[in-house]
Amino acid sequence: MAIINVAQREIRCKIVYYGPGLCGKTTNLKYIHRMVPESAKNKMISIDTETERTLFFDFLPIDLGTVHGFQTRFHLYTVPGQVLYERTRVAVLTGVDGVVFVADSQPNKMRDNIESLKELARNIQNEGKKFKDFPLVLQYNKRDMPNAVPLEQMNYYLNSQLNARSFEAVASRGVGVFDTLKYISKLVISKL
Amino acid sequence: MDPQLTSLIVSTSETAHIEETLDRLIADTGANYSMLLDKSGQVIAWSGDTDRQDITSLGALLAGTFASSREVARLLKEKEFKVLFQQGIRENIFTELIAEQWMLVVMFDKRTHIGLVKVLSKRATDELTGVLDRVKTESRAKDQIISTSFRTSVEDTIDLLFKD
Ligand SMILES: Nc1nc2c(ncn2[C@@H]2O[C@H](COP(=O)(O)OP(=O)(O)OP(=O)(O)O)[C@@H](O)[C@H]2O)c(=O)[nH]1
Ligand SMILES: [Mg+2]
Repeated sequence: MAIINVAQREIRCKIVYYGPGLCGKTTNLKYIHRMVPESAKNKMISIDTETERTLFFDFLPIDLGTVHGFQTRFHLYTVPGQVLYERTRVAVLTGVDGVVFVADSQPNKMRDNIESLKELARNIQNEGKKFKDFPLVLQYNKRDMPNAVPLEQMNYYLNSQLNARSFEAVASRGVGVFDTLKYISKLVISKL
Repeated sequence: MDPQLTSLIVSTSETAHIEETLDRLIADTGANYSMLLDKSGQVIAWSGDTDRQDITSLGALLAGTFASSREVARLLKEKEFKVLFQQGIRENIFTELIAEQWMLVVMFDKRTHIGLVKVLSKRATDELTGVLDRVKTESRAKDQIISTSFRTSVEDTIDLLFKD
């Protein structure tokens, strides 16, 4: 839930990157951290394993600066994608304002994508929110893979009921990363 | 709490009330630092040593720890863990849940007794529960802050900052 603090003149929103293991959530945040202007940048915190798999979350606060007298800030988080960590994902989702669902475009990952998206819907509903009205954007990542599933099929498997906005991405090269972030942040602000 | 609610507006007088409560808690316990967090990990107010680094990260991590302990409680069929205590060599951290929405955090060293922190935190959380009730129930003039022109300006800023 966004917090509007009138005394400190601050507005803060929480955006979570969700998706199956190794789909590229942390890669998105690392790219944003590297490319965003110095003035907006803060320290990124990653709680991960020795093999760089997310264990708890990555956390990156981004400052938009002062807008109409209010210091506006987005807190970006990733969840750990491995199946094992389902309850940790629930913990990270607490109080979320918007979600980027990162899907892996490789054919052998389609089942993981579908399962993860279903789990996300369940978790959002368990917070008492309606999933179909919830601010969500899909990112089809790893479009550079030679065997990437065609776009129509990605849409068919993941988006035929949701009808959410989707973006193609190659997060490891930064392609589509900011388009996705721009879209979700505007969506969150529009729902405030 | 209405789950469809997308934002919580904390007014100037409520912030003042919260800060007073935290100031008093620190004065009465001799603790080093105290803060009020929203369960999403955002810092609502703080009091104590002004040279604390990285309050934002601290908030995110402590709220994350609390949220994960809540999931542990669920697995153990425990209703919830209302408090969490982290013992360090130099400093200890005491966290108490407030009405399932906020968390009161107190950081203190060996000069302060944990028993005192527990008792006085309870008094503070009772008071903060009252403030939280007001934040949730009183209608707020959100449109004055989140106006159409505010939204437009935020969108412009987003376009400016979020690019390669
Ligand atoms: N080819 C290709 N590789 C990518 C792309 N995006 C990320 N990767 C790689 O995929 C691997 C996993 O990326 P991460 O960002 O760590 O994945 P994650 O979703 O955070 O994984 P968990 O933390 O386990 O949930 C890394 O080796 C990345 O370099 C992409 O667009 N194309
Ligand atoms: Mg990761």
